[in-house]
Amino acid sequence: MGKVIVITSGKGGVGKTTSTANLGTALAMIEKTVVIVDADVGLRNLDVVMGLESRVVYTSMDVIEKRCELSKALVKDRRVENLMLLAASQRNRKDDIRPEQMQDICEKLKEEYDFVLIDSPAGIEQGFHNAAAGADEAIIVTTPDLSAIRDADRIIGLLQNEGIEPINLVINRLSATLVRKGNMISKNDVLDILNIDLIGVIPEDTGVIASTNRGVPLVHTDRSPGAEAYMRIARRMIGQRVPIPDMREDSFLDQIANWFSRNK
Amino acid sequence: MDFRSLFTRKSKSSSIATQRLQLILTQDRFEVSEDSMKKLQIELTEVLAKYFEFTMNSVSMSIKREGNSYVLMADFPYSKTNKIR
Repeated sequence: MGKVIVITSGKGGVGKTTSTANLGTALAMIEKTVVIVDADVGLRNLDVVMGLESRVVYTSMDVIEKRCELSKALVKDRRVENLMLLAASQRNRKDDIRPEQMQDICEKLKEEYDFVLIDSPAGIEQGFHNAAAGADEAIIVTTPDLSAIRDADRIIGLLQNEGIEPINLVINRLSATLVRKGNMISKNDVLDILNIDLIGVIPEDTGVIASTNRGVPLVHTDRSPGAEAYMRIARRMIGQRVPIPDMREDSFLDQIANWFSRNK
Repeated sequence: MDFRSLFTRKSKSSSIATQRLQLILTQDRFEVSEDSMKKLQIELTEVLAKYFEFTMNSVSMSIKREGNSYVLMADFPYSKTNKIR
């Protein structure tokens, strides 16, 4: 029996789809069987980020309306074994699906796959509730800025009300340089405010743009800091103890100051 | 005196952001208006002022997430000179 994990954020544009694509790919690369599900009905994008848009024939809507079998609607990834995509319908609206129907799909998928990752739409309306309906666990993606953290806080409250646990945090697009200069909220401040468990920090990596252009998830790129961070998260997701590396957020001056206060 | 303050001219935008965020989230989590929060703050201070010497508005309140529940915290700066009435 596998796990269903919803990847959500509240705010749009913080990296939910990118994270779903990369974590799904990374888990499949370490020999897990994975389905990534696009729950963003009407605004689907996971197929594009995965470079699978030309292969999508059926969507979750076709499964719900019994036009096709669930197994037939799954699109096989082009690069990694054991990785499948269930696309969302582009012609429907989010309230055309009911939570029970999503739950049903998730139940069936987790019987056969180790991981079912649900790419949630932004917002806190029906689409989000559908995405979370079948989830056992959640991963919150946030960027270190006011609006994303505020929305993440709201989403955490909603997920806790639904009894989803654990809820883990991914801090995306952290720039150690900006934190050092005092122009970005630091990892520790985000953690202090949201007070949930951190599962990984993705450094700002411009490689993401090229990877989306090509339709090849970043984890396929060697020596990319973002790819390495996603691989580490995947390993933590399968229970390995992988430390979260320090990004040297402290400036040289802070380090001297810390040294002095330690030796007082 | 903080060693670091010698070298920083103005307050960093990240600390302004963190402070603003704390305030915003306290209001979000309370689900009350800024006005009601101010009122609660004043009334709490008035109650405590019956027993301790306080300067008004010296109390700061926040809500922190602890596991699945929230903890309301009110900080009253207290010094030995604030003797019990």
